[in-house]
Amino acid sequence: MDVLMPQLGETVAEGTLSIWHKNVGERVEANELLFEISTDKVEMEVPAPAGGVMKEILVKEGETVEVGAILAILDDGTDGSVGPIAPEPAPSLENNAQHLTHSLPAASPSVASAAVSPNHDPRRRLSPVVRKLVAEHNLNPDNIDGSGLDGRIKKSDVLALLQRNAPTTTDQASGSSTSLPSVDGKKVIPFNRIRRVTAEHMVRSKSTSPHVHQGVEVDFSRVDRVRSDKGVAWRAREGFSLNYLPFVARAVCDAIVEFPHVNAHVEENSLVVYDQVNLAIAVDLNFEGLVAPVIQNASSMTAVEIARSIAGLAARARANQLTPGDHLGATYTISNNGSFGTLFTTPIINQPQVAILSTDSITKRPVVVEQDGEDHLVIRPVGIVTQAFDHRAIDGAYAAAFLRKVKEIIETKNWEAALP
Amino acid sequence: MAELTYREAVAEGIAQEMERDETVVFLGEDIAKAGGVFKATVGLYDKFGPDRVRDTPISEQAILGAAMGAAMTGLKPIAEIMFSDFLAVCWDIVANQIAKIRYMTNGQVSMPLVIRTANGGGARFGAQHSQSVENWSMMIPGLKVVAPSTPADVKGLLAAAIRDPDPVMFFEQKSLYSSKGDVPEGEHIEEIGVAKVVREGSDVTIIALAAMVPRALDAADRLYSEAGISAGVVDLRSLVPLDTKTIFEQVEKTSRLVTVEENPRLCGWGAEISSIVAEERFWDLDMPIIRITTPHIPLPSADELEDMALPSVERIFETVRQGVD
Amino acid sequence: MAKRTTKRRISKSTKPKKQAARKSKIQLNDDIGEKTRLRMWQLQLEIRHVEQRAHDLFFQNLIKGTSHLAIGQEAIASACAAVMRPDDYTFCTYRGHAHTLVRGASMEGVLGELMGRECGLLGGKGGSMHLTDVEKGAMGSYAIIGAHLPIAAGAAWKAQYLKTGQISFCFFGDGTTNIGAFHEALNFSVVWKLPVVFVCENNLYMEYTPISDVTAVEHPAADRAGAYGLESIIVDGNDADLVYRVARDAADKARAGDGPSLIEAKTYRHSGHSRADPATYRPEGELEKWLERDPLKIYRKRLIDFGVKESKVVAIEKAVLEAVDDATEFAKNSSTPSKDVLMTEVWADGGASWRN
Repeated sequence: MDVLMPQLGETVAEGTLSIWHKNVGERVEANELLFEISTDKVEMEVPAPAGGVMKEILVKEGETVEVGAILAILDDGTDGSVGPIAPEPAPSLENNAQHLTHSLPAASPSVASAAVSPNHDPRRRLSPVVRKLVAEHNLNPDNIDGSGLDGRIKKSDVLALLQRNAPTTTDQASGSSTSLPSVDGKKVIPFNRIRRVTAEHMVRSKSTSPHVHQGVEVDFSRVDRVRSDKGVAWRAREGFSLNYLPFVARAVCDAIVEFPHVNAHVEENSLVVYDQVNLAIAVDLNFEGLVAPVIQNASSMTAVEIARSIAGLAARARANQLTPGDHLGATYTISNNGSFGTLFTTPIINQPQVAILSTDSITKRPVVVEQDGEDHLVIRPVGIVTQAFDHRAIDGAYAAAFLRKVKEIIETKNWEAALP
Repeated sequence: MAELTYREAVAEGIAQEMERDETVVFLGEDIAKAGGVFKATVGLYDKFGPDRVRDTPISEQAILGAAMGAAMTGLKPIAEIMFSDFLAVCWDIVANQIAKIRYMTNGQVSMPLVIRTANGGGARFGAQHSQSVENWSMMIPGLKVVAPSTPADVKGLLAAAIRDPDPVMFFEQKSLYSSKGDVPEGEHIEEIGVAKVVREGSDVTIIALAAMVPRALDAADRLYSEAGISAGVVDLRSLVPLDTKTIFEQVEKTSRLVTVEENPRLCGWGAEISSIVAEERFWDLDMPIIRITTPHIPLPSADELEDMALPSVERIFETVRQGVD
Repeated sequence: MAKRTTKRRISKSTKPKKQAARKSKIQLNDDIGEKTRLRMWQLQLEIRHVEQRAHDLFFQNLIKGTSHLAIGQEAIASACAAVMRPDDYTFCTYRGHAHTLVRGASMEGVLGELMGRECGLLGGKGGSMHLTDVEKGAMGSYAIIGAHLPIAAGAAWKAQYLKTGQISFCFFGDGTTNIGAFHEALNFSVVWKLPVVFVCENNLYMEYTPISDVTAVEHPAADRAGAYGLESIIVDGNDADLVYRVARDAADKARAGDGPSLIEAKTYRHSGHSRADPATYRPEGELEKWLERDPLKIYRKRLIDFGVKESKVVAIEKAVLEAVDDATEFAKNSSTPSKDVLMTEVWADGGASWRN
């Protein structure tokens, strides 16, 4: 079967093949990492659309080709040509082309390209009965071996797993009550795909960028005033709560105007500084993984628009409805761990960006303020805002000045005016 | 047990009921002296005489109208419509009159009649003598719809249809008339509205009707021997009443459903089954429900073309095999 | 028309002049007799006043849907009913209030059904076009033109097969003579020699179109009779006595095992086709001419000519009006159908279930 250049986003027409992970003659399993591609904005790893042996590589590393182009030929046991398995295709007698497509996804370019989208990955397209069983037994489908076409998980796969009496829990972090069978006092939880990708990215980031962390204490009084004045009406109108994150995000965008070098990528020996801020927001998927969808051109948005965008992205992320386009082009990332009460976090840079900001818990603290030459002890909502930056790209003073600017904006901006 | 053909079972079922009930009468074109164009009613005229087994003119509205008038005043008529395609010329009597009169009169009128008709393709008769139209009847409230696949069921279900106090559309598959099977001797009656699991299977359930039942069974044999797939086969036997209980039991067991029908694609009975299962047993499904049908075309007459149009053993085998992957 | 066989024209014309001439021949203590005449008078009055009431209730918005009145056509149903045995069968059309009432169906049952009430003959499930009272032999009103002719033949077949001596009366309009089922039923009934009397009420209009515009022959039923070996019978449908006599002959023939008859009764509907029809297509003066020949007017005079006291004639009318008033009140006070009946009586088990 043909391996095609996948569609990377609605507006992306071509991509550059950066790495082949398999050479001609090597065997690849369905969904195993096969190659990586890069566009002007993003790098993407593409798994094999089917299991088989690499027969021929048509596009070499570094070549740029259009979406849909044939990159390689994979011998997956079929005759290798595009088309139905039947040598002489009969007319579609029931007009159920969709069904035929479903049966023969490997032959269909649309399905091959869809392999990069979690929504169309056959492994993640669970049948109703599998969904039911997975929910009933609290299983993670990523940890179930699918014996169906393209690794699709069948009911029998789940039943076999249950029968082996080794249910794989999804709930690693919460320590849920599911009784995990332990062997010799330990349990083995294989990395799923999203875990593997995250692990690889974090190692690469840490080894690529010399991280430096700095933090500032920020007084959120002005923000809090707006939240308490307008929060109830906001929730009624918008359907979600108004938290601190949109204010921080807006402040970051404002500060970047003065300190644009934090809004950049490192490419070879250059710093590519962007005019517009495409702001990635780290979203946790209920302890099952981490994604960082992007608010495109956040710098042009009001705090209200940013708030809505964040809520929309988070909802879609948790519903597993993000598309590849949602991950493209980020220039700066914010991670928010405040809801767990953390004092501060030292985040890892989202490559190839040069800085990442973490906001943590904001709590009421005694603060000494000077008024009319006298010290006063007052109660203020205070939180620590931390930034990791790539010391290859910028230095401590610049980064600290940026942080100070963020602090100043949060503490002094007329937020009342920013919110309707 | 006696080995009978499907067509012999028709006459036997009618005779059984005419013997036990004087009010059972039989009318239709060429059914009496000629014994029916498919020779399915041979001997009845000689046995029961001209008052009870009567030839009619080629007047389908008169045949069914007369059957209706007789049924509502105390007889139990069996009316034959020679080819089910001809139901189109008397559909008013079927759909507007027979089916509705009990409801419209709030139960004043009963309609204990049977409309027998030769249905379906496979005989190279072309588009106007080959249709499979059981779905037409299925969509009219007030009609029971039966389509047997074996001689034993022909006898037992026809007898049940004659005794039924409601109108029953009885579809005999004309390509099955010469098929043979064991039929219980003596009084034999089956229950209308009960599907039959004719082959147990654990991987996939194939639901079929009439001529599609033997084909589904053949396909199931091949699925097992060539692909290791254990396919169960359900002979639906009646569309109304519909045995959803048996369907659900099988779907719960196999989580995969394939319907095989002779109806053209749109609004064939498989669509209704699929809809019910999708609605009520969605969480048991492990693959999309698959319908195998005749394509949405009039049936052609040439051997090769008709064979290609009707669901074949090969098509059932291939479709199920691919679907189950 | 040259080839027509035995023809018996009881009335060749509907002109008032000739009517007057014939009336002089009526004898006291004739073949019909006072008792039957008074019954036919009462039946005609019942039809007239129930139909009139239905008309009025429309304008009070108490009757919905559609309804087809038989005002002006009362003589035919009444005379035929007077001929029937109580166990005979009547089959009629959507213009069937008259034929149902004359079999003895209750007025409150008829008006209640029109008003969609629980007391209706069909419990509110059938409506104006499907009035039925099986106990009374009113085997249904059929709203698809032509369908009930073969059905009436089927009921006659049952009577023939079980030798019960019952017959079927089947009423239909002139428009029915152009639909296939009419021809199928006639041929079938003749071939099977079934005891059925087909009565065509020719009111000159199929719906909105004159029947003469759409029919190949002058007399839509009678001129077709010969094609099925039947006598061509035309009768003045506005004179109950004349209808009675031909209906009696046809019924006798059927009961004797000599097969069906086809009667064409010329008449006129005073209202439009249905409630929505103002009947503006009728030529000026036509209605007025026919109002002169109103069957009730003719019959009132007939009774007086016969020496029936006017007070008796009036008393019957008064009693009928009171009965219609009572029935109207009863129906108005009847509740609307219980929601429980919606899903009943699809099947003989009383239910509507199509699955287990």
